[in-house]
Amino acid sequence: MRFILRRLANYVVMLFVATSLTYFMASFFMDPRSNYLARNPRPPMASIDASLTAANINDKTPVLERYWHWLVGVVTRWDWGLSPTQEPVSGAISSRIGASVQLMTLATVLGIVLGISIGVYTAIRQYKWQDRVLGSLSTFFLVVPTPVLALGVVIAAIWINQALGFRLFYVTGLHSYSGSNFWLKLSDLGQHLVLPTIVLSIITGVTYHLTQRTYLLDTMNADYVRTARAKGLPLMTAIRKHALRPSLIPTTVQVAFTVAGVFTGAVITETVFAINGLGRYFITSIVQNDINASVAIAAFAGACTLVAALLADVAVAWIDPRVRLS
Amino acid sequence: MADTELTLAGATAPDVVADEHDGDLHRTGRLALIVRRFVRRPSAVVGAFLLLFLIAFAVFGPMVANWGYDEPDFLALAQAPSAEHWFGTTTGGSDVFALVARGLSRSLLIGVLSSLAITFVAALLGTMVAFFEGWFERVGMWVLDTLLVIPSFLLIAMITRSASGKGGWLVLAAALTAFGWVGYARVLRTLTLSLRELDYVHAAKYMGVGPFTIIRRHLIPNLGSVLIIQTVLGVVAAVNSETALSFLGLGVKAPDVSLGTILQAGQSVVLTSPWVLLAPSLFLVALTFSMQLIGDGLRDAIDPYSRSGGKA
Repeated sequence: MRFILRRLANYVVMLFVATSLTYFMASFFMDPRSNYLARNPRPPMASIDASLTAANINDKTPVLERYWHWLVGVVTRWDWGLSPTQEPVSGAISSRIGASVQLMTLATVLGIVLGISIGVYTAIRQYKWQDRVLGSLSTFFLVVPTPVLALGVVIAAIWINQALGFRLFYVTGLHSYSGSNFWLKLSDLGQHLVLPTIVLSIITGVTYHLTQRTYLLDTMNADYVRTARAKGLPLMTAIRKHALRPSLIPTTVQVAFTVAGVFTGAVITETVFAINGLGRYFITSIVQNDINASVAIAAFAGACTLVAALLADVAVAWIDPRVRLS
Repeated sequence: MADTELTLAGATAPDVVADEHDGDLHRTGRLALIVRRFVRRPSAVVGAFLLLFLIAFAVFGPMVANWGYDEPDFLALAQAPSAEHWFGTTTGGSDVFALVARGLSRSLLIGVLSSLAITFVAALLGTMVAFFEGWFERVGMWVLDTLLVIPSFLLIAMITRSASGKGGWLVLAAALTAFGWVGYARVLRTLTLSLRELDYVHAAKYMGVGPFTIIRRHLIPNLGSVLIIQTVLGVVAAVNSETALSFLGLGVKAPDVSLGTILQAGQSVVLTSPWVLLAPSLFLVALTFSMQLIGDGLRDAIDPYSRSGGKA
């Protein structure tokens, strides 16, 4: 317990330092003033300054002063500041997290389960044709850039829609049905979710397939598995009882970090499928020179990473009898 | 005299394999061995040829094209592929063939440059953190972990957002490097932990050889194979990030062209002119896939414990 607390304290300090660095970087590289200067007709300078100061992003105020103001707001009132349009950032983020979670949950679970199963399946059949075919497929999907994959799925779906003559798949958004029938609502969500879920499951699944295959092959060749075979256990039993469990330990660490990714969303997939999740919000906030929003999203993503790291520590200590928390 | 000694030492190195040929001793050097193993893998050879073809396309493509990437043909807007425009044109009338050739060379350049830079920085800092033990290592590890807290994609996006114009791609390459090396450095530090206990490293240290000389002469060469593989596979990662950022409008920006920006332009016309998407997608996948094949082939060729079959 003391170990976990010490870790936690260290993580909080790390998050603080990383977020502060991000704040200074964002303030240096982003220029919210240009939003106003680009407007036509251009608003008077005094009014530009007034709105920038109100959002605490005026570049005429020294950055340390802005930082202090921002920090006090975050620590005392949990107020993450305002956008250049004077909208509070906290509210905007929490509504986006919901959309991201809706989008990512199913895809993440599918990707992890399928990836690990295929990894185990191919490791047992190392260098047989199933392993070769699935391995090359995964290597291929591993290197296909996400925009290409997502756009390819969109093209295929439109092609299927045209062939069928009606809209089976929707390629944008999460909802389009506004009635109150629960089943229609569910099928509507399903029609929207299928395509991004395919994309995200492939992305998650292939990494799990390839890593799980490597981990299991490592343990399958270990001495204790040979001993188990030598004392007469059938291959499958030896793998299930002796090789599988240790090979799942590094995978668990990976799972913890993937689960944290559920909350931060997927930037490219959300952009292609026009889903208003956190990933897409980040891109809009960067394009709109929204310093406070980008810093808040970065901080949230960092917090998710560290929670995942903590979960991974605890989970490994729980599964792996060789690790003792001390 | 010193010279002969050196060559002798080189010839008896363990990684030199002797091959009997009609009774006379034929020596195979390490490089020849790696090449031979690499060539034995069909997939690696395919990857190498694919890459050569892509490089040739990026270099000579603009010369054979009928149109430049920056001279739109206003008489042929959103045309399907034809004899005049081999890959068709965009809604703005730009020739997709010329765009792809230009974009491919940009993506390649950014990918290779930032991957090389990442390997260099990661190798130097990773070995340094491991070599100077004690407080330097503790502080260094803490800094590395802190840099990993915030997803690097977000930080890169922040920097490249403000860069534009013709020099924008250099900023992008620099940003990819600035936040891409941290993970690699951690991996290399772990590998160095066992290297720093080697006898000759200790010996060099107590003989008073400077730390950077030891790093350069003993540690980095020992990591050589890892570094080469990492550089090749790093190109895949760098090209992927570059494409993603450019696709989102945050990386390479007009008037410059990369494969990501062509994808972005093609996204809005998926239904009406799919060829704008098709050509850059194919080339992009060919680029990353060939790099991956080469990287996998190199890994098997360099790894002394490789079980890829065959002799030597």
